Amino acid sequence: MAKSDDCVHILQGLLVFGNVVIGMCGIALTAECIYVVSNPHGAYPLLKATENSDIHAAAWIGIFVGLALFALSILGIIGVIKASRTLLLVYIILMLITFAFEMASCITAATHQDSLTPNVFLKQMLERYQKSEPNNNSDNEVTKTWNELMLQNHCCGVNGPSDWQEYTSAFRLTHSDADYPWPRACCVLDAKGLPVNLDGCKLGVSGYYNSNGCYDAISGPVNAHAWGVAWFGFAILCWTFCVLLGTMFYWSGIEY
Amino acid sequence: LPYVPQVPPMALLGRVTATTFALERPRGVFDGHADASDSVWLAVAFANGERSLFLWQGTWGPSPQPLTHHLCRAASAAFRNPQCRAEVPLYQQLLAACSYMTLETAAAEYSCSAPSPAVLRVGGDTACGDQDRQDPCNGPLPSPGPYRVKFLLMGCRGPKAETRWSEPILLRTALSPSTIEPAPARPGSALVVIASILASLGAALAAAVLGALGAKAWGSLCHRGLGTGAFIRRSYRSHHIPPALPQPPPPGCGCSPPGLCPSA
Repeated sequence: MAKSDDCVHILQGLLVFGNVVIGMCGIALTAECIYVVSNPHGAYPLLKATENSDIHAAAWIGIFVGLALFALSILGIIGVIKASRTLLLVYIILMLITFAFEMASCITAATHQDSLTPNVFLKQMLERYQKSEPNNNSDNEVTKTWNELMLQNHCCGVNGPSDWQEYTSAFRLTHSDADYPWPRACCVLDAKGLPVNLDGCKLGVSGYYNSNGCYDAISGPVNAHAWGVAWFGFAILCWTFCVLLGTMFYWSGIEY
Repeated sequence: LPYVPQVPPMALLGRVTATTFALERPRGVFDGHADASDSVWLAVAFANGERSLFLWQGTWGPSPQPLTHHLCRAASAAFRNPQCRAEVPLYQQLLAACSYMTLETAAAEYSCSAPSPAVLRVGGDTACGDQDRQDPCNGPLPSPGPYRVKFLLMGCRGPKAETRWSEPILLRTALSPSTIEPAPARPGSALVVIASILASLGAALAAAVLGALGAKAWGSLCHRGLGTGAFIRRSYRSHHIPPALPQPPPPGCGCSPPGLCPSA
């Protein structure tokens, strides 16, 4: 009898430890998702313009899931220590619902990160940058964001300045190819904001223009946010799965 | 002159664009042939076999709109050197004559010792076609070509020397951005991993819960019958048979410890 008592105590101890970890991870997930929601990176207007802000939906779900995990972990600890069947049954059912929501958030974040290919930004840039009759405010935002991106990161276009040569664009309508093979922001500028060597920039002499593309500068922060939400949520779910299995085993062994 | 003009071989991104192209500067080619007052022109003509001339209407739709349709066959072969400066075909006549001359520079600038950039740009003057100028100017090229060029050394009395025609130079043609496919062809491997693992975990959990609840329901249904296993414990607990009570002491024996009754 003492041996099975020991086993029960060990199982209780493991379940309490598991719930403590879940509670802490829930708080961490809430904090991380609040950070993602409230701290948009510089390229956020571009994401808004693609009408693909799934990462925000995933982060909002993550905030509430984190709080729910914290509350449920406390309920779980109480239920395990008291060996109460009703408490543990409520705990298991609510945890399953939370599990389902967190699964949705994870997959949404991973899908969002997957869908942001260079071509998405390339098409948006060609169609909207310096559009002469902006339909709405988002076109102005796109232009402003691209100018800031190109100036701060010393880059040009999505894959490089050749984007402006390979495709026609809204920019090309208002700026002739002879004068502006690519926008002035692609040239190396001096302290006053004027190109150091305009002819060199137009010809593409290295040193007078920025030859690398901006895709790395855009995708870096976007990927960091998306992976943070997706992979951390995935890790929490794996741990929660184990704790839930243990809790169900414990629940089924409790006597009335 | 045996010199052949060519596009600069070094890797310049802008050496050929949609309306301009660059040429290597011919250093020292005209030394010995040129006087101080001579000038060097660049003759630009459509290459042999150029069939028609399209003019862009400025829209970036799926296809260019032809404004004029003009046959320019064998323009470079048919090019006649002008005999004096007044006969020089101008940029404005490119569409009509299928050739023109531009980039008039003093011959001294092409000598070996002249410090100057290594590259000439054809088509860089966007103010060219604006007014009805009758001066030779270097306007942007209206069609992708291909073009052939040669340098012509002109003196007071006419052409003095010329280089060979260059190879055909084809300018860039830009595609419309509607040809860009923004969606990825297949989902990434990380997405597949996450989705499949999470789906299997969720399914396992749901199966475990249903299994546990089902087993409990099944057990409670069999509760009245001959249940086995853990449920015996339950039935035992429900019909708890208390252990047998100690027998009441026989009447007349007033002693508390049994067995210590006085024999009487």
